[in-house]
Amino acid sequence: MEIFNLPFWIFVAVIAGIYTIFALGLYLQYALAGLPNFGHVAFAALAAYTMAILIIHLNVPMPVAAIAGLLVAVLFSLVLGIPSLRLRADYLAIATVAGGEIVRYLALNMQGLTGGPIGSIGMLGPSQLAQYNQSWDALLRPIVAALERNPVLAPAASRDFAMLLIVWVTALILLVVFWLMVRSPWGRMMRAIREDEDAAAAVGKNVFRAKLQVLILGALLGGLAGLFLAWQIGIITPDDYQPTFTFYAYLILILGGTTRIWAIPVGALLFGLLYSGTRFLNFYPLSLFDSGDRAYLRLILVGLLLILLMAIRPQGLLGNRRELLLR
Amino acid sequence: MMAEPILSIAGVSKRFGGVVAVNEASFDVAPGSITGLIGPNGAGKTTMFNLISGFLRPERGVIHFDGWRCDGRPPHALASVGLVRTFQIPRVLTRMTVLENMMLAGMDQPGEQLGAALYQPRHLARREREIRDQARELLEVIRLSRLANDYAGTLSGGQRKLLEFGRILMTEPRMILLDEPMAGVAPALALQLLDHIIALRAIRGTTILVIEHDMEAVMAISDRIIVMDEGSVIAEGLPEEIQRNERVIEAYLGTHAQAPVPAATAEP
Repeated sequence: MEIFNLPFWIFVAVIAGIYTIFALGLYLQYALAGLPNFGHVAFAALAAYTMAILIIHLNVPMPVAAIAGLLVAVLFSLVLGIPSLRLRADYLAIATVAGGEIVRYLALNMQGLTGGPIGSIGMLGPSQLAQYNQSWDALLRPIVAALERNPVLAPAASRDFAMLLIVWVTALILLVVFWLMVRSPWGRMMRAIREDEDAAAAVGKNVFRAKLQVLILGALLGGLAGLFLAWQIGIITPDDYQPTFTFYAYLILILGGTTRIWAIPVGALLFGLLYSGTRFLNFYPLSLFDSGDRAYLRLILVGLLLILLMAIRPQGLLGNRRELLLR
Repeated sequence: MMAEPILSIAGVSKRFGGVVAVNEASFDVAPGSITGLIGPNGAGKTTMFNLISGFLRPERGVIHFDGWRCDGRPPHALASVGLVRTFQIPRVLTRMTVLENMMLAGMDQPGEQLGAALYQPRHLARREREIRDQARELLEVIRLSRLANDYAGTLSGGQRKLLEFGRILMTEPRMILLDEPMAGVAPALALQLLDHIIALRAIRGTTILVIEHDMEAVMAISDRIIVMDEGSVIAEGLPEEIQRNERVIEAYLGTHAQAPVPAATAEP
């Protein structure tokens, strides 16, 4: 593939936008309020599967199915959070890892409902290909048509380009909204809870309610990212919701600089670039390996690049080094 | 004899596993008083503070704050009715600035509601200005103004104690619980803290309950002293009475000791 392949880079940018929304949810929970959630992927999986199941099995209208998907993600965050929020942070981490894997294994094994390992196309059994995407694609078509009429954007006009606009406009609106909230007294209270929840409680902050708020907001954002990803890819399988999905979001936060909200889109684009860009490392001596081996080599390279970046800038691109040193 | 107490502890017990930390303790604190809570290490003083401030729930007994039954209520509920505490090891928010540490404790900030920054930005900003002014004034008083924009994590132990003290004053409390305010603080800062405590009661009439191992200091500032040993309240009275009390001397120095209470015992 050519390195200057516009459709490919548009696709990469769409995914980076989805990751931005996904990582923003994790930012609120982990970077802002100090709740280590290692099962963030569960929110994306639950929203996507709920949406797909309602559309395919019950012919529910797409917007209703999408909202139901978000609600299920929120419900799951409450089931996970209410028993574990009062515990120490490490227990929450364990509970969330387990929660995320439970969701994936359910999707893998409840074949009649979820399609099992082959995912959403198998939801109606082997005789019939199931699809949840028609209404969403119908929504994109007029946008693509409008783009094609625009003399400047016409060459790039495509389904993915329409998706790019929707995802990034959504991501930017959410970033501005949460940037305002993080700078407000609400954000200050959350940071205080991250630093020392007893100290915050001792001056009158309701720590439990605050944690519940970020847990729910994180679930909504994770769920929204899950819906976008499902619509973008067109087929969902349990394999898409491996724990690595969550870890990539952590990488994005760390790459950009954990405590800065505007570092999230920067981190997401950088991650997309590292992850996809290594695809083009097909020159000598790497060309000695066949493409299958190179795929694995790529992951090693991504890891090496990340280590290198962290060695040079441990605080992330936009982070503040002093904050790493304070105890 | 005493005016209606602001804080009343009646028959409070707390055990951790098999260890009885507080055993049927009862005492009252008069409004506007400075009361010293003393006793040897392991007497249950800090556990008592945790019980009063809502960080622990007593197994038996009743605690009233200003006529309101408050045992088992969460810490934030107590803080919002004006009962706040400090910690033995000061808990500052290290990756937030000194000013932010103070402003956090400003009360009645509607901006702490979810999304308030979006639907009532002006109301929030007005209150935020008031809180900032209040915080700057208090920082002036506790002489940390020039560090206002530094991370609290860069402060020394003594400065952290001052900051925590300033932070609880931001809540405009009616009663404060101070857990060893002088321990581990350089003598000059300790004197400054002592002055603040006395001034606070004199100017605002704040009730103060203080755990302190510096006997000279606690005897000098307290109106009354409560002595705990092995979880129980063993004596209560005026500082001069306590200094002569046989049981207190015994508790501090072991059985049958005849020496007076040492002038200053340092906590390691």
